[in-house]
Amino acid sequence: MCNFLRLNNQLTKYLRLGDSILILMSIIGIIWLFNTLWSNEQAAKVQIRQGEKIIGTYSLNQAREVQVKGPIGVNTIHISNGRARFSKSPCHNQYCVHQGWLNRAGQAAICLPNQISLELIGETKPYDSLNY
Amino acid sequence: MRKVILYAAVIAVIGFGILQFKPKAPLYHSQSYVFGTLVDISIYGETDERARAVTNLILQDFQHLHHRFHAWKTDTSGHASELGQLNEAFAKGTSPIEVQADLANIIRDATALSVKSNGLFNPAIGHLVSAWGFQRDEFSAVQINQEAINNLVQAAPRMTDIVLNKSNVYSKNSSVKLDLGGYAKGYALDLALQRLRQEKIKHALVNIGGNIIALGQHGQKPWRVGIQHPRAPTAIATLDLADGWAIGTSGDYQRYFFKEKQRYCHIIDPRTGYPVQHTQSVTVLIPPQSAHQIQAGVLSDVATKPIFIASPENKNQMAKKFGIEYLMVIDEKSNILISKKLAKNLHWQQPDVQFSTFE
Repeated sequence: MCNFLRLNNQLTKYLRLGDSILILMSIIGIIWLFNTLWSNEQAAKVQIRQGEKIIGTYSLNQAREVQVKGPIGVNTIHISNGRARFSKSPCHNQYCVHQGWLNRAGQAAICLPNQISLELIGETKPYDSLNY
Repeated sequence: MRKVILYAAVIAVIGFGILQFKPKAPLYHSQSYVFGTLVDISIYGETDERARAVTNLILQDFQHLHHRFHAWKTDTSGHASELGQLNEAFAKGTSPIEVQADLANIIRDATALSVKSNGLFNPAIGHLVSAWGFQRDEFSAVQINQEAINNLVQAAPRMTDIVLNKSNVYSKNSSVKLDLGGYAKGYALDLALQRLRQEKIKHALVNIGGNIIALGQHGQKPWRVGIQHPRAPTAIATLDLADGWAIGTSGDYQRYFFKEKQRYCHIIDPRTGYPVQHTQSVTVLIPPQSAHQIQAGVLSDVATKPIFIASPENKNQMAKKFGIEYLMVIDEKSNILISKKLAKNLHWQQPDVQFSTFE
């Protein structure tokens, strides 16, 4: 505490009013930039669930295949260029595969027989739940 | 003076920093597969433990309903469900069997709704649903057996064939086979709302296979729901769902198969015995109903069916019979028709959406 006061005294000796304001503004600016840019970068993700468990949340800025096992077999989920889709499924009707690519926050696809769901997560969720 | 300014600056920076890290909203969200579909429950403003405990209670209620009222599954020892046994009794003849009070109430309410819809909402056509192959978890395109379908239509199973004497039930028509597919999810929504209130939960959103009911709101804002686009994996519009309101959609994209490029969906016109092909989806928004009336959940599930089945020119009239003021219809050519009241509440997800309004 004593050290801090001494440092403070030295600081005030050299700093002028304008300097303080400038420092203040820059710190505010840095925090603001950090918050906006940092969170936006992580905005585009896909959350994969099987049954009641979250299997994982993956960035959409990568090309990768995720395999998820459910009660009737293994589904393949394809991620590339900011999009995600079910590309293979052991289910009979293939509704999940026919859903095609998802690319906007809030979009979702479900494979009901194998109890696997994909949901795209963004900065803000456009809605709490989907009526279908 | 400078010292004061520096202190003020430091405090301001710390304060600003804290403000940037908003406390995480106390939202509990769970997804499970019960009832043969996806159940999605959000609870706001409770601790995780409390929310989880109440969610489990609701899921147990659903599981229980599912076992009792499943239209085609048998239990592990091969016994039919309560509903299955009732259907077996209907098929055998007219000797009454006793059902539990809640099933008797369901039959009474479903019959009243069926009468109101001029028979377009008809949960007695279980044999037709089965003939089209929709009473299976994993169904596929069926051989269309025109003769069998004609016979089932001729047999004319109706809810009014069922005679209900307190808890004793029989059917005057042996072709009656109850399928609560268009009723049970709505019923479960009402049950969930009742359970949430009983457990003193203030804010929750329950979604059973697409049908949604709201309790309270999501923090400072109402619960917001998206309405599925019938032909794209996205929401066509969003709207706020106020306390006690329910929303239901019937779509030809939920259960269907293709045969010779024709789409056959699970919604069957009891007059023809064939799946409806003039409509892609019907959405209704239902306000809270007064006690001792049929509740919002059931209405949101049931009312979409007769509106879906009614011919395009009769849809609005059918909606009026059910007192529906918030309605959206998307026809086979993807034209959107919407009631004025609902139009005011919708936020389209794409710019320049063309729609017309009902008179």
